Amino acid sequence: MTRGIGLYVHVPFCASRCPYCDFATAPATTALRGRYLEALGREIAREGDLLGRPRVRTLFFGGGTPSLLEPAEIERLGDDLRRAFVFRPREVTLEANPATLDRARLDAWLALGLTRLSLGAQSFDASGLRALGRTHQPEDSGAAVAVAREARLDVNLDLIFGWPGQTVAAWESDLDIAAALGPDHVSCYPLELRLDPDGSIPNWPGGGWPVLERWRAAAAAAQPDDAGIARMYRVAERSLGRAGYRHYEIANWARPQKRSLHNLGYWRDRDWLGVGAGAHTHLAGARSANPADLRAYIARVESGSARAIDADADPPSENAMLALRLDSGLDLERYAARFGDTAATRVRTALREVEPAHLVQVRGRHARLTARGRLLASEVFIRLLP
Amino acid sequence: MAELARIRNFCVIAHVDHGKTTLSDRLLETTGTVPLREMRDQMLDSMELEREHGITIKARAVRMAWRDHELNLIDTPGHVDFTYEVSRSLAACEGAVLLVDASQGIEAQTLANAYLAVEQGLEVIPVINKIDLPNIDIDVIREELRTTLGFRDEEILLVSGKTGAGVNELLDAIVERIPPPVGDVDAPLRALIFDSHYDAYKGVVAHVRVIDGSLTAHDRIRLIATERESELLELGVFVPDARPIPRLETGETGYVATGLKAVADCRVGDTLTLASRPATNPLPGYRPAKPMVFAGFYPTNAQDYPLLKDAMEKLRLNDASLIYEPETSQALGFGFRAGFLGLLHLEIVQERLEREYDIDLIATSPSVEYRVITQNGAEVAIDNPALLPDPGTIVEIREPWMKVTVIVPTTHVGPVMELAQTKRASLADMSYVDPTRAMLKYDMPLSDVIVDFYDQLKSSSRGYASLDYEFAEYRPADLVRLDILVAGTIVDALSIITHRERAQQSGRILVNRLRGLIPKQMFDVRIQAAIGGKIVASETVKAKRKDVLAKCYGGDITRKRKLLEKQKEGKKRMKMVGSVEIPQEAFLAVLRIGDET
Repeated sequence: MTRGIGLYVHVPFCASRCPYCDFATAPATTALRGRYLEALGREIAREGDLLGRPRVRTLFFGGGTPSLLEPAEIERLGDDLRRAFVFRPREVTLEANPATLDRARLDAWLALGLTRLSLGAQSFDASGLRALGRTHQPEDSGAAVAVAREARLDVNLDLIFGWPGQTVAAWESDLDIAAALGPDHVSCYPLELRLDPDGSIPNWPGGGWPVLERWRAAAAAAQPDDAGIARMYRVAERSLGRAGYRHYEIANWARPQKRSLHNLGYWRDRDWLGVGAGAHTHLAGARSANPADLRAYIARVESGSARAIDADADPPSENAMLALRLDSGLDLERYAARFGDTAATRVRTALREVEPAHLVQVRGRHARLTARGRLLASEVFIRLLP
Repeated sequence: MAELARIRNFCVIAHVDHGKTTLSDRLLETTGTVPLREMRDQMLDSMELEREHGITIKARAVRMAWRDHELNLIDTPGHVDFTYEVSRSLAACEGAVLLVDASQGIEAQTLANAYLAVEQGLEVIPVINKIDLPNIDIDVIREELRTTLGFRDEEILLVSGKTGAGVNELLDAIVERIPPPVGDVDAPLRALIFDSHYDAYKGVVAHVRVIDGSLTAHDRIRLIATERESELLELGVFVPDARPIPRLETGETGYVATGLKAVADCRVGDTLTLASRPATNPLPGYRPAKPMVFAGFYPTNAQDYPLLKDAMEKLRLNDASLIYEPETSQALGFGFRAGFLGLLHLEIVQERLEREYDIDLIATSPSVEYRVITQNGAEVAIDNPALLPDPGTIVEIREPWMKVTVIVPTTHVGPVMELAQTKRASLADMSYVDPTRAMLKYDMPLSDVIVDFYDQLKSSSRGYASLDYEFAEYRPADLVRLDILVAGTIVDALSIITHRERAQQSGRILVNRLRGLIPKQMFDVRIQAAIGGKIVASETVKAKRKDVLAKCYGGDITRKRKLLEKQKEGKKRMKMVGSVEIPQEAFLAVLRIGDET
């Protein structure tokens, strides 16, 4: 592990619940907060120990809303991390709600080594934020970018398109405002509404799944159709391309040298450790995950039992899918060398099947998704499955 | 063993739901054949499917005793597809109880069967059932029985299968009015097979009525029509469970475990005789099974073909009317083309394959058998639309026509007539069974009968119309084959033969429906309907625009893979036609073409 690992730290707390979100989240005021952070500290210490105190190459605080942590909590987390790992990260990202960042918190994060702020701007349109059930205001994002810049942080803006009632013109305007704020990195996600009850997260009191399900069904009905969303995606490609961003992954754009190193680790099938509720891990070729339920997570850490292994994982197909998400694509020769002829043949067969529909472009040893292929990536990926 | 004069063989003719089963159970109970505590509802219906369809598919005979007489109740099938089986059951009887629901009145099929009984010389006892129901007008039913079958009021019995009222009187009437069997006790054995079924332990069991002579449990038997011989395994009667007996005499009914392996060897209507002393003349009325409706059966998963083959073989053991042969479709792969007595028979077989044998099936649109006269003078029978010869070589196509009888309340005659008009039917006769109900007689192509006619008839009469039909003749018709092309390829399994006047409209409806059922693919898919190479309708399923899981979810690759696997499973359930994935529903859609034509 000379090049180190990626480390993902999950902080589930949120001031309010965004109805479209499927991450492991919990109310910021939950009575479990103290025990959770304690368990998180224990997990960090134990994993660092088990892995022989590896170097953390990239660090990502995701959530939830990790920017909600109190300075003292951030400080303790930093201490835990430094104790458990060789802590010389090239990139430390914090996911933040534009309205939650204050000076004291930011200073604590900077002391921990923060280099990059990922802002959940989602939209600069008040009706868009309302449609998404967000509680911040359009102007909060600009203010947050200014604060981040002042602290010399790299900035990512998360945008969501295809929300109920959104027009192409509204989306163009969001993209223009985003570009004008000059972030280093932009992620654009079409609003994907999961309608099966798997989406229910057990940590929220009251309402629960039935309320979410109603909201989602109504939102899904009012969303632009697939053709509309496809059009918006093309608009994003054009608009961000003109503004100097490279479309390096299906949903991600970056200025030169500003790609997300941590996320590149996922797509390049590198090793990473995920700690906290619902966090996923990929180490030594095995995928595993923590429970999303806070109580279950705490119980797991306290009992010292192992993460749940994904026994159905299929490294060859997953590797190919992940690689094809990137604009660099899949190197077929290196792939064959790593996974053998059977896997390589399956990939070639799949690619041949979708080539006539112009979903992929194969040039010599390199295969890449086309612009159309990025929109129809599932058609390509299901053919890679064994 | 009773002397001839003390035997009564009878059946009950009734419409579905008119209380035949309840009354039969009541007869068993009143005669002490089944003690009350052992009664379970619907004693005579044994198959689960029969219960669900509310019909009795297979006839059986039950022996009862009443006032020193031996009464044999012979069950009759209750559906229009089984007219021939009904006629054989009737041939085993000297009398029939005509059962009419006091709240419903006589139905078309019951009337047809009652006429059949009268034609065959049976003594018919008219019985009005369910007299315990409130708000019934027995006089109206009496009038129907007078008008349609010429009964006198004093002949008509009133019973309630539910309360048991009038059941003793009915049993008395059976003894008094129905004549005993006549037969030559010394002649060589002639026994009529009026039903047969396959038993896993006993092989084919034939239900027989001994017309002449007698049969013992040690005889070697011969079947005249199928020319089979076999060592008899067991002889018995149903009381109502099977009870072995040493001997079956002239006039009696019972069962024979024949030792044969398939019911096709032991067909309804055949004559059973002794190998040692065979009768020379078979009993009249034997007819081999004559399928009227045909469909292709294909396994949804090609790997299931051996399972389907095995299941069809097993079904055929027990269903002599089921005929089939292997068939290959470009679109659907390996399967079978099967012939059925009618649409209900088809549905029953399909359900049994799916339920009892757990096979996912695609059934093609049902077809009738067309007679095609070609230019070289040959007559070819075509039961698969895809096999219709090139139009240039066809001189004439003939299709089967039926005589259709509908009984409907006079208030609903209008809608029924409108419906009939859409089905190419011509009205042959109209009369009244009573002041409130009319009887309409139509000539109608079978292809129109099998496409939804029954369901539409029910809905256009609020459920009150009843239907009966029988084959009339083959008539020339202006028929064409309508082909469906998906991405330029003819999907053979979707072809139908239809009337030229309707072909274009049917084509438009089908194409439109398929457009809604074929999911978006990676490219535009053109769906066309063509008649003899000429495109008459065309639609396009536009290419899919977006199908991507964009969000990264903190490295949760597991969830992404699971969603993709689910999507892949969905694709597996579709049939690939060329490079186009077609879901099963698309094939089923062709079945419903009648809805809007």
